[in-house]
Amino acid sequence: MYRTGSYSIVTDMEGRPTTVVGFYGSVLDGGPPARRWDRWRPSVSLVGRDDLVVARFVLLCDAATAAGAQQVARDMREVSPETDVVLREVAIDDPWDFEEVYGALYDVAADLAVDPDREDLLVHITTGTHVEQICLFLLTESRHFPGRLVQTSPPRRRETPARGGAAVIDLDLSRYDRLASRFERERQAGESVLKSGIATRNAPFNATVARIERVAVATRAPILLLGPTGAGKSLLARRIYDLKRQRRGVTGAFVELNCATIKGDAAMSALFGHAKGAFTGAVAERAGLLRAADGGVLFLDEVGELGADEQAMLLRALEERRFLPLGSDKETSSDFQLIAGTNRDLRADVASGRFRRDLLARIDLWTFSLPPLRERPEDVEPNLDFELEAASRTLERRVTMSREARAAFLAFATSARGVWAGNFRDLNAAVLRMATLASGGRVTEADVREEVARLEEAWAPVAPASPTAADDDLLAEVLPAAAVAALDRFDRVQLADVVRVCRGARSLADAGRTLFAASRARRSSHNDSDRLRKYLARFGVEAAALFGRPS
Amino acid sequence: MTTDELTIDGAQGEGGGQILRSALSLSLVTGRPFRLVGVRAGRPTPGLLRQHLAAVRAAAAVGRAEVEGAELGSGALRFAPRGLVPGDHAFSVGGAGSATLVLQTVLPALMAAAGPSRVTVEGGTHNPWAPPYDAIERSFLPLLARVGARVTTTLERRGYFPAGGGRLTAAVEPGTAAVPLALSARGAVRTRRATVLLANLPRRIAAVEEATLRRLLPADLWTIERVTEEDGRGPGNVVLLDVACEHVHEVFAAFGMRELRADAVVDEAVGAYREWLAADVPVGPHLADQLLLPLALGAGGTFRTVAPTRHTKTNADVIRQFLPDVRIDLVADGAATTVTVARR
Repeated sequence: MYRTGSYSIVTDMEGRPTTVVGFYGSVLDGGPPARRWDRWRPSVSLVGRDDLVVARFVLLCDAATAAGAQQVARDMREVSPETDVVLREVAIDDPWDFEEVYGALYDVAADLAVDPDREDLLVHITTGTHVEQICLFLLTESRHFPGRLVQTSPPRRRETPARGGAAVIDLDLSRYDRLASRFERERQAGESVLKSGIATRNAPFNATVARIERVAVATRAPILLLGPTGAGKSLLARRIYDLKRQRRGVTGAFVELNCATIKGDAAMSALFGHAKGAFTGAVAERAGLLRAADGGVLFLDEVGELGADEQAMLLRALEERRFLPLGSDKETSSDFQLIAGTNRDLRADVASGRFRRDLLARIDLWTFSLPPLRERPEDVEPNLDFELEAASRTLERRVTMSREARAAFLAFATSARGVWAGNFRDLNAAVLRMATLASGGRVTEADVREEVARLEEAWAPVAPASPTAADDDLLAEVLPAAAVAALDRFDRVQLADVVRVCRGARSLADAGRTLFAASRARRSSHNDSDRLRKYLARFGVEAAALFGRPS
Repeated sequence: MTTDELTIDGAQGEGGGQILRSALSLSLVTGRPFRLVGVRAGRPTPGLLRQHLAAVRAAAAVGRAEVEGAELGSGALRFAPRGLVPGDHAFSVGGAGSATLVLQTVLPALMAAAGPSRVTVEGGTHNPWAPPYDAIERSFLPLLARVGARVTTTLERRGYFPAGGGRLTAAVEPGTAAVPLALSARGAVRTRRATVLLANLPRRIAAVEEATLRRLLPADLWTIERVTEEDGRGPGNVVLLDVACEHVHEVFAAFGMRELRADAVVDEAVGAYREWLAADVPVGPHLADQLLLPLALGAGGTFRTVAPTRHTKTNADVIRQFLPDVRIDLVADGAATTVTVARR
């Protein structure tokens, strides 16, 4: 029986044959040949292990070390007849020259063309100069050597048999339990920052935040936040900045602009700055927000409201990190991360020519949608607590809610009546109002009732009374009121649109061409007039009656 | 013959490689597949090691076996032989694993095969923790020959730990042990010889060992020899004590190691010899271990030895699992033990 020393097992558990790449170590592997078996020689020890069978060992050497490497290769073959020891001379004149060593090893990696599905590659970094070890590490980390690092170590005192140790260093840090749990804590802390410390429960929202956490830490590329007004885009942008700052991802400032609030020269000047005298009133030079965000984060809310000139300038600033301040002939530069927010459908804006396609492509790389509050009913309660705390700070007195008041408010907020048109902005306002009105710092059920009435009034639809009111009016002109009332909403909108087209057309055929234009283009519609007549007849609408009437 | 798969607990008794090697030998000869579970469970490096795999691969080649789990670190192995293949076989065991243990694993199968075989094994021929080639050639095989086996071996090149690189060959004629062994006494001692093997090491080590041997052993009874090799390969140092008796030939060996004084190596070999001498039995503990399996597969027999080691007991348990109609009795008799292997 072999007694085993304590070393970590390096075996590949997937049963792939193992290939090792490593330098012949002229100091550790070499030395006077007479007592060489008494010494610990890293390359020899790696093929002599009881817990590893190396199928192929590519032993690297240079012209100066080739002779010694040959001796060691012979000994390795003797220790391990199963191992194909391949001596490979690399063109390195100065093993301390980073550029030369990296280039030579890059060629080795390309030449070996290890297929990680079929071979388990171990890169031995115990031998060679420090520069050679660093280059092996870098090429392994960049997956040019698609394998793991292996480090051998001399035997301990009285280790029997004196084989020494070998430990695999896997650069996939998530495989190390203790590190993984540290990363997990850091990740959770990061998500908590993004959620402003609110323990949100909505699964889609939490998933979005988890993704943002990963992206925010990793990238300086633009981030696009979609969501209705008040969904928290602005707050989230600031939190992303906070998180990046914590993780040392940014050094500069957080700069914020709502693009809807400013137009024309003023917008240009605010964003890109201006030279003195650039326009009337430009009495002094102004650096602009892009410049202010250098090294930091620029948050442009309502980015869809930017004018065409600003869009062009912004695109250039994103692509080249350079732009021209208004009225200046000297370019200035800024290295900022853009976070853009919008509640518009920018794709539709591109289609209608309102927004530049190339700018959208540039900012639509990491896009996250923030759901409206009414789609996150489970998050009302944690946000209520957060807003109560915030209100307490604002009012400088502790504000609480009675149990009944809380239950009543939550019941309303999460019901169908809780429209939350202004999303978190409404919630924030509601809580602040209740907190302000609460006598003795305690919100009662009566306070809640009053607030609910206020909210419902604010959310009450102004006009039309029903979303299909305009359609109903139009249909009433061609059908009896009872027949209109009997129509499903589904049919009502379709029929109304058909009637509208017919009214604007010269004839049944003319209307058919408009209504079935797509089918016609595909040549899959032949008799449009007949198709239209039959459709109208289904609802009892006389086709002839629609034409020849003033629209 | 049943072909039900046996389940062998790799963690029983001494555990480790011996259970595996015995199971492989027995499975090959009986044709019975087995599953070994819990291989070296709880060790710092659990599961199959390289030397174990070498034995599995050799056995698989000899028995055209289907094998599952034959991977480094594997905690379970399934082995199902499909017929013995006599003829030429060549195996190698790296990391200075023992070539003699690989040979011992396949030997019973080749004896049971239909035709003659010639086996070459590369690896360590003189490893600590395994019988040295000399013990196989001069102690174990002559006893096997006495019960009917026809095996001759040649040492082509010695291989020492850690460099390995040795080579041995064995020529095996078919025919299992047909005659029961009866070995209750040594008989008269005929020769006593001490040999110092020294490869690629300073000669003063041999000189110290020879001086120690002369001090510890009666000069008129013992001849002392030295075998030196200077071939630039790995270093090695072994002290061998050969005692040829009328009915048995025993070999005691101790291995020189880095950080072990030369005279301590001699002390170890002489100590083992003296224990055997004092026990007044023909069979030493290592030889007893080696004999159990071929006797159980052959015509059985009786021999006297020292108190059985855990190793021997574990070995007996594995044999009983494969061969339920074989009785292995270990009967203590003072400091000695009489081992009887017989079919019921």
